[in-house]
Amino acid sequence: MTQRETLENWQRAGRKVVHEADAKDLLQRIGIPVPKRDPAEGRCVAKLCHDDYPHKSDHGLVRLGLSPQEAKQAAAEMAQRIAGGTELIEQMEEGSVAEWIIGCKRDDTFGPIVLAGPGGILVELIDAAEIRLAPTEPQTAEAMVNSGPGARLLAGLRGAEPADKGALADLISRISVFFAENADLISEIEINPVIVRADGKGLVAADALIVLSPKSDEQENFT
Amino acid sequence: MADPNSNRMAERRRSVAEALNGLFDPRTIAVVGASRTRGKLGQAVLALLKSNGYRGRIIPVNPSGGEIEGLPAARRLEDIEGPIDVVVLATPVGIALDALETCTRLDVKVVVGVTSGFSEAGEEGHENEMRLRRIMKDAPFRLIGPNCEGVVRPASDLQLTFSPMFNGLRPGPVAMISQSGALAGLMALLLGERGVGINAIVSSGNETDLTAADLLDYLGNDPQTRVVLCYVEELRDGRRFAEAAQRLTKAGKHVVAVKGGRSRAGSRAVQSHTGAMAGDDRVISAVFRETGVIRARESVAAVDAVTALAAGRRPAGNRVGIISVTGGLGVEMTDLAESAGFEVPVLNEATQTALARYVPFYGSVSNPVDLTGVVLANPTYVGRCLEAVAADPGVDIAIAIITFVPDQQFIEALAEAFDSTGKPVLIVWTGSARSNASGDALRERAVPVYDSPARAASGLAALAAMRGEVA
Repeated sequence: MTQRETLENWQRAGRKVVHEADAKDLLQRIGIPVPKRDPAEGRCVAKLCHDDYPHKSDHGLVRLGLSPQEAKQAAAEMAQRIAGGTELIEQMEEGSVAEWIIGCKRDDTFGPIVLAGPGGILVELIDAAEIRLAPTEPQTAEAMVNSGPGARLLAGLRGAEPADKGALADLISRISVFFAENADLISEIEINPVIVRADGKGLVAADALIVLSPKSDEQENFT
Repeated sequence: MADPNSNRMAERRRSVAEALNGLFDPRTIAVVGASRTRGKLGQAVLALLKSNGYRGRIIPVNPSGGEIEGLPAARRLEDIEGPIDVVVLATPVGIALDALETCTRLDVKVVVGVTSGFSEAGEEGHENEMRLRRIMKDAPFRLIGPNCEGVVRPASDLQLTFSPMFNGLRPGPVAMISQSGALAGLMALLLGERGVGINAIVSSGNETDLTAADLLDYLGNDPQTRVVLCYVEELRDGRRFAEAAQRLTKAGKHVVAVKGGRSRAGSRAVQSHTGAMAGDDRVISAVFRETGVIRARESVAAVDAVTALAAGRRPAGNRVGIISVTGGLGVEMTDLAESAGFEVPVLNEATQTALARYVPFYGSVSNPVDLTGVVLANPTYVGRCLEAVAADPGVDIAIAIITFVPDQQFIEALAEAFDSTGKPVLIVWTGSARSNASGDALRERAVPVYDSPARAASGLAALAAMRGEVA
């Protein structure tokens, strides 16, 4: 099945918000790194993913720093609370030097756009995202990680290690192309946060969300 | 029915270029609604077209026939022989729609719809709007408007508007596209007062057919155009507008835009941070920046920017040299320039030595240069000082500040200094109304002249954007 067919199936099934586990499956297929699932050892995170609960931590659907065994129990316990969810157990990501948000949406005036900026809790604190038309050329994606206050964070403030800007630019370019090609089916994609490691060590999408467009026969008729 | 040999409809829909070529250099213009009654739109359109010296064929269309403004009138559009480049609709909405329908059967290139009463009239205009769209669906001609103030092209003595705000403009490098007719008028008047030349002005109205993006692409690519000034409230085909702007700015032209109207924030449920962070206004700023469009906060600031860009001089850097007949205005200009990211560096020694010949000991020859009131008695001094500052290798942009000036020689000395350099020169002339001098020598050269340091700072900011600093 192509990625587009997957999106069409989701839309046909009436899904509006596609939860993290399914969104990450799709992102992985377009070459975006995601955390290792169901690891046999090491520290784990347990989540319960459900289209109706996109903000998982508000509902107690995220538990961090567990052993693989504890994670299984935690996920099972959450599944009992919320019916119809998908259990997701992942390896906890180490080596973060920056958390970033990458988002795509269809702007009413200009069509597909892509946004990148300081993510995680910083989203609430500073409004420093760079916005460009999607799809972006690779050099535009590079400009996005080298512009604005976010660029200073990525370069490493006060002796902090510089982040892998190349990997981040690649992700921006990749997701903006995917979004622009499928913007009739998707109204928004958001990866928040992307865990960016030190230069040369890559990144990983720690959380993700896809918002689908209503089917064309459900869309408002503007004519 | 029209004579099939003389006035039949085109076989296909005209391209934007065909229609606009006809619009800006028309041989035949029909004014539907031309009238002898003062105060009627059609009367004003016809009178302005005539009084501004249009030399092509003008045909008033009025069911009573006879002569209007000394021109033989046709009773109906169908009675006009030969192709019609432009039909202007300046009647009440019902008659305008009938005429528009007639145009579909005639050889017409473009219709300019001054008439109102369509989508902008809400519920009451709804039926008119529907009929308009039905007619335009298969129309062979193209439409500007409706609900617009018209079209102006000084080089063709073409004044297709009911508004006198556009009178007396000189031909030049600025094209203007405005979704508001009144703002087009205001900006044209200000540009005209400053002597900035106009290539074309289009009030695009409701943009039922031809949009700001079509007009930007066409007017921007005209070799006569150096700067396009846009006032937009809603960009229906924003992507094409952005792409057209990017092509133009990459080719070295300038696009200055004012986006009117606040966004309707929060009209939809926001499920993600992306939705909240990429609000309409932020996206507009970001896309304008990405595509090289200079965004002005409001129309007068846009005119200030265009005034600086129209002179066609590019600064090599961001170092500003300022001369002033008064200390205070020099200080204010310096503050504004520095807070906009410019440097006001100390002038080099040779420049200071040259200035010292004209500036008394109680003035200043560093930067800003305080010429003091002594120069008012020696008109040529101010010119020499401006030349010296502009020639300083550490200066990229020169600004001369004057208040009232007692005689004409003063202005001519500044104009000569402008000719002596290829660097951008801005003049701040706060007392033009109190001066015994005319600014014609400056206007003829399109020297950017402002009435305050703050307005000049808007011009400076545009010059900086030109170097890609804001992009």
